[in-house]
Amino acid sequence: MKVGIPRALLYYRYGSLWENYLRNLGVEVVLSPKTDEVILEQGLKCVSGEVCLPIKIVAGHLLYLKERVDAIFFPRLDWLYDGLYACPKMIGIVDVARMLLGEKVRLIAPSIKGNFTRAHLTAGLAVCANPVRVWQGWRRAVRSERGKRGRNEDNLPAAGRRTVALIGHFYNLNDEFIAGAIIRTFRQNGYEVITKESLPGRVLLNRSGFAHNIRWVYERELYNAFEYLLGRVDGFCMVVSMGCGPDSLVAEFMRSRAQRQGVPFLLLVIDEHTGIAGLVTRVEAFVELLNRRCLSRSGVAAGC
Amino acid sequence: MKVGIPHFGFDTLALKGFIEELGAEVVLPPPTSKRTVEIGVKLAPELVCMPFKITLGNFAEALERGADTLLMAAGARKCRFGYYHFLQEQALRQIKQDFRLVPVSQYSASGFIFKLIPELFGVSPLRVMRAVCRLLVKSALTRDFRRLLNRKRAVDFAGAEQVKGPVMSLIDRARTISEMKRARREMVRLFGINGKRADIRIGLVGEIFYTVDQRANQEIEKELARLGAEVVFERCLYNHLRYLLHIDAGYRRSRRLARPYLAECPGGEAIRTVGEARQFVMQGVDGIVQVFPFTCMPENIALEALQRISEQSGVPLLYLSFDEHTSTTGLVTRLEAFVELLRRRKYARRVSGN
Repeated sequence: MKVGIPRALLYYRYGSLWENYLRNLGVEVVLSPKTDEVILEQGLKCVSGEVCLPIKIVAGHLLYLKERVDAIFFPRLDWLYDGLYACPKMIGIVDVARMLLGEKVRLIAPSIKGNFTRAHLTAGLAVCANPVRVWQGWRRAVRSERGKRGRNEDNLPAAGRRTVALIGHFYNLNDEFIAGAIIRTFRQNGYEVITKESLPGRVLLNRSGFAHNIRWVYERELYNAFEYLLGRVDGFCMVVSMGCGPDSLVAEFMRSRAQRQGVPFLLLVIDEHTGIAGLVTRVEAFVELLNRRCLSRSGVAAGC
Repeated sequence: MKVGIPHFGFDTLALKGFIEELGAEVVLPPPTSKRTVEIGVKLAPELVCMPFKITLGNFAEALERGADTLLMAAGARKCRFGYYHFLQEQALRQIKQDFRLVPVSQYSASGFIFKLIPELFGVSPLRVMRAVCRLLVKSALTRDFRRLLNRKRAVDFAGAEQVKGPVMSLIDRARTISEMKRARREMVRLFGINGKRADIRIGLVGEIFYTVDQRANQEIEKELARLGAEVVFERCLYNHLRYLLHIDAGYRRSRRLARPYLAECPGGEAIRTVGEARQFVMQGVDGIVQVFPFTCMPENIALEALQRISEQSGVPLLYLSFDEHTSTTGLVTRLEAFVELLRRRKYARRVSGN
């Protein structure tokens, strides 16, 4: 049995776990290739024009897999913990996927509703009839994940290095096709880039303060990361996909707060029409601004 | 205390009656106009959805008229709507300092009746309950008003527009339940159509603010009626209130009908949109119109399902997404083309059937 995993959305967080898990159950895992123009083109054709870029991309990945596999593993994240929801489009995309794929391809889409493990075990039983094997496969996959990440330090770059915090959803920032150019431009200009993924869990899951009001799981992480990094980095660059509902509100809180604190804040809105050259120019202008601020500040400190 | 509330179509009358029932003065903003939208757009973040901008404009204009307390529905869930009030308060502080914006959480009926409203208005929970009962009856009245108005407008446009004003003031004046009963009888009499029916019926579904608020959706019901089509709808304040009180059978029906398309609720009103669309198809409407604000998250998911429903059942679908740049002329042209299409289909089918 060939099971496909689209390389988009939640793959960028749980991808290796899923791959390990499915391999442990003895199925052949097929990954869709990295996002490129062809995949995006395909996705654009079959979902409505108003949804955000990552959803269009995931539709393309699903269509790529449709011809090549027997089943597609595509869990639905409804709420994760603490009653925190995923965004409506991420919940609904699974239903859209079912409509896109039709009868031919089976969709293995467990709903994660507060119990991550149970959803995955149910999904495992759909491909492997032996519950003992499913349980062992899951345990092994989880253990190998645990070995990989020691998420307790904040992994901030050493003091003195110029740093920019890239605030955005992991499925946008980890996708070469979407954010590759932005990250490269910052690095080429001598800036370290830090994203929320490198922050420890205790920071991201913090529920005090304003974060308490945010009921979207990834928005809360973004906001907590922002609060934590405020004052620890030289500037913020926020990457928002056009039409992202949660970001359209939370970005405004962050922007106004950064403005009050006098921290540079760049808001980049991207969609399928965004040109790389235009993005790079904006990032370069922002870097220029950061450089000048650093210079003038060190000038003041030196008493000039 | 002068309470300001945003407009909510004809159901504003019911909400206004509710607050007056609690002994406060209501300052209604002027009807949503181009200026309202402009104020909203200026104060709001760029990418946020339209209901935010329109209600923000309403609040700004209510403040100009002297309101000191603003009431906004809240309750954070999957949809953006529950978060509006945080940003709206922040935005309104730019133009006025001395006011307070009270978020009214939708999802806790007991908190609403026993805590929030009694503390805000200084009344007893019993009085709140009485006001809620009257609100329910009155919102049923405004719903029937909209239904009858749509029915009459489709066959007798000028006559319906003529009695619309008097009936609205009749509803506005009705305070007690018996007065509302009397108003209803009078309304039914005035909206009589002598057995005539429009030849085209169109089901209206979509996001609640855009289906209910006539100014926001640029009077789509009126324009369709002018073209001789009767608009049927399910979405209104009355059904929403019943849903919040967990006594809405229509929602359960929608859930059941939507399940083959949407297994989980993606938030907002996607489930209702899909369920009601299927319900309308079963009732034999000639076409379905979906209205929603640009970049609305749940409705875009619902749209995918509606397109499948439309393909399978053969009932044409027109989806309209609105933002601050939507022009009335373009909208009317699209509606005209749509109604024309429906007429031709109906006529062609009748010919081939003979």
